[in-house]
Amino acid sequence: MIRSLRTALCAASLALGVWSGAAAAQQPVTLVVPQLGEPKTLSPNFSTDSLAFAPTSNVYSHLVAIDWGVNKGTGAYGDLAESWATSDDGKTVTFALHKNVSWHDGKPVTAADVKFTYDTIIAKKYPAFVVLKNVREITTPDDHTVVLQLIEPEVGFVPMLAQVSTWTAKIYPKHLWEKEEGFDKGPYVNAPVGSGPFRFVRWDKGGLVELETNKNYFRGPAKIDRLVFRQVTDVNVARAEFDSGRLQFLNYEYAPPLAEVAALKADPQVKVVFTPSHFSRDIQLNLARKPLDKPEVRQAIAHAIDRDAMNKLAFSGLWRPAVHASVESQGAFINRAAKFPAFDKAKAEALLDAAGLPRGAGGWRFDISVTNPNFPDCKAMMEVLVQQLRQVGINAKLEQFDQATWFRRQNEKNFDISCYFTRYGPDPDAYREHFMTGGGRNFMSYSNPEFDQLATKAATLRDKPERLAIYHQLQDMIVRDLPYINLFDEQKTTLIRAGWSGFNTEPSAFDKAITWYGYYTVTPPGR
Amino acid sequence: MGRYVLARCLQLAPVTLVVIVLNFVLVHLAPGDVSIIMAGDNADPAYLAVIRERYGLDKPLGEQLWRYLVQVANGDLGLSFRSREPVFAEIMSRVPATLALVGTSLVLSVVLGTWIGAWIARRPGALLDSAVSAAAVALFSMPVFWLGLMLVLLFAVKLQLLPAMGMASVDGPREGVGRLIDLARHMVLPVLALMTVSVGQYIRLARGSVAEAMAESYVTTARAIGFPERVILMRYALRNALLPVVTVLGLQLGLLLTGAVLTETVFSWPGLGRLIYDAILARDTPVIMGSFIVMSVTVALASLITDLIYAALDPRVTL
Repeated sequence: MIRSLRTALCAASLALGVWSGAAAAQQPVTLVVPQLGEPKTLSPNFSTDSLAFAPTSNVYSHLVAIDWGVNKGTGAYGDLAESWATSDDGKTVTFALHKNVSWHDGKPVTAADVKFTYDTIIAKKYPAFVVLKNVREITTPDDHTVVLQLIEPEVGFVPMLAQVSTWTAKIYPKHLWEKEEGFDKGPYVNAPVGSGPFRFVRWDKGGLVELETNKNYFRGPAKIDRLVFRQVTDVNVARAEFDSGRLQFLNYEYAPPLAEVAALKADPQVKVVFTPSHFSRDIQLNLARKPLDKPEVRQAIAHAIDRDAMNKLAFSGLWRPAVHASVESQGAFINRAAKFPAFDKAKAEALLDAAGLPRGAGGWRFDISVTNPNFPDCKAMMEVLVQQLRQVGINAKLEQFDQATWFRRQNEKNFDISCYFTRYGPDPDAYREHFMTGGGRNFMSYSNPEFDQLATKAATLRDKPERLAIYHQLQDMIVRDLPYINLFDEQKTTLIRAGWSGFNTEPSAFDKAITWYGYYTVTPPGR
Repeated sequence: MGRYVLARCLQLAPVTLVVIVLNFVLVHLAPGDVSIIMAGDNADPAYLAVIRERYGLDKPLGEQLWRYLVQVANGDLGLSFRSREPVFAEIMSRVPATLALVGTSLVLSVVLGTWIGAWIARRPGALLDSAVSAAAVALFSMPVFWLGLMLVLLFAVKLQLLPAMGMASVDGPREGVGRLIDLARHMVLPVLALMTVSVGQYIRLARGSVAEAMAESYVTTARAIGFPERVILMRYALRNALLPVVTVLGLQLGLLLTGAVLTETVFSWPGLGRLIYDAILARDTPVIMGSFIVMSVTVALASLITDLIYAALDPRVTL
């Protein structure tokens, strides 16, 4: 009975398999990109929705863009903007737009669309306001010129605009949206009309978002015909589908354990791509907490960390240890003379003894809790860190939370030591956000008036050597005061099937992919 | 009977009220709110304030609860914070997927489990009985996500017979019989995973109660009269033995809509379980609350239906 049932089942599924195989035979080239979940909406400008980044970045255009080319030094490049110029006082940025761009409904893209989008973001204080709040006024002298008047001179303004655009400042068509009350209302929230390389086709809720190539794209049509973002909620299943050849690309969210990389590299059917970013993986120390308020204790912690051992245990030795207060992609902005204290257990113990924290009962000096955002790399690093701290008598314990809880605690400065992702680009003005008194990501309560004054000045300097000198000075202060300790350059791992190329994490797509989530440059085998 | 059903339905109101208040408090005990998630990790305080005001999160908790109760009393579950769609529509859009998956596997495992259990109960202690009983325990104790992954590896990757993700093929037909066949293909593995785990429970349950019934004196009498063994088993023993099966089925029926988060995750199945899981991580309070209300109503209705079936099966019970 059971055997005959099984035979029947197999026969039935074989028959169905043949049927669906025949249907797929003469299809044009489709790239299926797996995504861990479903977008909340397809309107990216009114809230941060990480699962909408990829589909919307391919449908919409941006004024300026940034992609993984940031790690060879590109601050921003034009998307709708053909070029831009900043006035001598640094307070006026004039963008010249490409002239032959049209919306997917055929209407031309003009300066009025850019102004409408940015004005709405500013009026509603949508997330990109964090960058656009420095805009006093937007004017459009003609259809292809946009002028942004800034409140304060800001050298990093355009790169920062490019960065925030990759997430949440896409340019919307004024003629379709001006009647709506906001970017979360109306028929185009989930049926976007953009001007990007792909047009929206359908959103099959709970399943996939389908896009097709925009034949009229002003840079020329993409080499794939269809782009499908498919929901694959289990990383193991996605990997199995990749291994069996049914997925061509696994992005870093589905990264394989690094221990498997050697085996994957031996497979001629698979390309393993490592892409560094302009972020680091580091630890923040809460200076408002005892005994972390003592500089000697922070120095001791820095001396207790063995980055090489951590690299072997957490990343199979495949990451790049960071000893400066920057990452490799920042080039000349790195102060190579400013280094974090090197691994030296004896020195760490001596410093802790001198700080009045001798080993007590059970050999412990004091208790401390270590936490991390919900990233696999941070988790792996913090597990090792806890053991390394325990070796010098610091009774460290690991505490982990879901992302929303971790972030709330971080905001409330309710932590001792936490893994963090400090940013250094696309413009080094990023230091202000992390280390200035009251900075948006300064959860360490670091406050140094000299640092504040210099960093504020550097943001207005257009003279490069002078700017460079200040950023080197700032790094000297950071490695002296140790509000954070840098550990590694962040690195993304993606898997690509042989024959396919031009994925956004590959150097061949740098400065061309249109955002970190762009698939415009993907080339399938044989095209 | 009619009065009984009416009374039971009226009981729903206080049950729902308790569910709302309890869940409202629990949801708000969790740190972090939706504004932080919507703003991203570099939040501008102005944006947080705008969101909190727009969604009424700046009001005292008691006032928020009162507003929500009034709204629900008017039959409105509100809009999702994240998608800005009506919560009820959002839940209902997921119900068919969950019903198809959990419902099918529930029906299959009850029917198959009861049938196998009754069959092996004819000769308790025989080799077949011991083997099937041991297998049932093994199935029952298998983690469903592991079984799911193994099924994917075998049927989707090695044999390439069946799809492993979602409810439809990317290029599959979107209507008509073709679509149903495509759906059926996608359902095979997740239903198999869920069913394999729950069928063991019904086998053991049916085996125990049928074996007990077969030892009763009315069975001996029936045998003495000369009824065929098949008729005794199916018509008399099984009907009496069904009561515990119905009880367990009733409990599981109530959990029908809570979905099967693990199975849904492994097979990227767009059901209610995933909706709730995502809503909790995103602190999308209206969706969380709405789902809990719908679920608690289902549990209450399921227990009502169980009691009605009980009365039909057992002549000693009257309503």
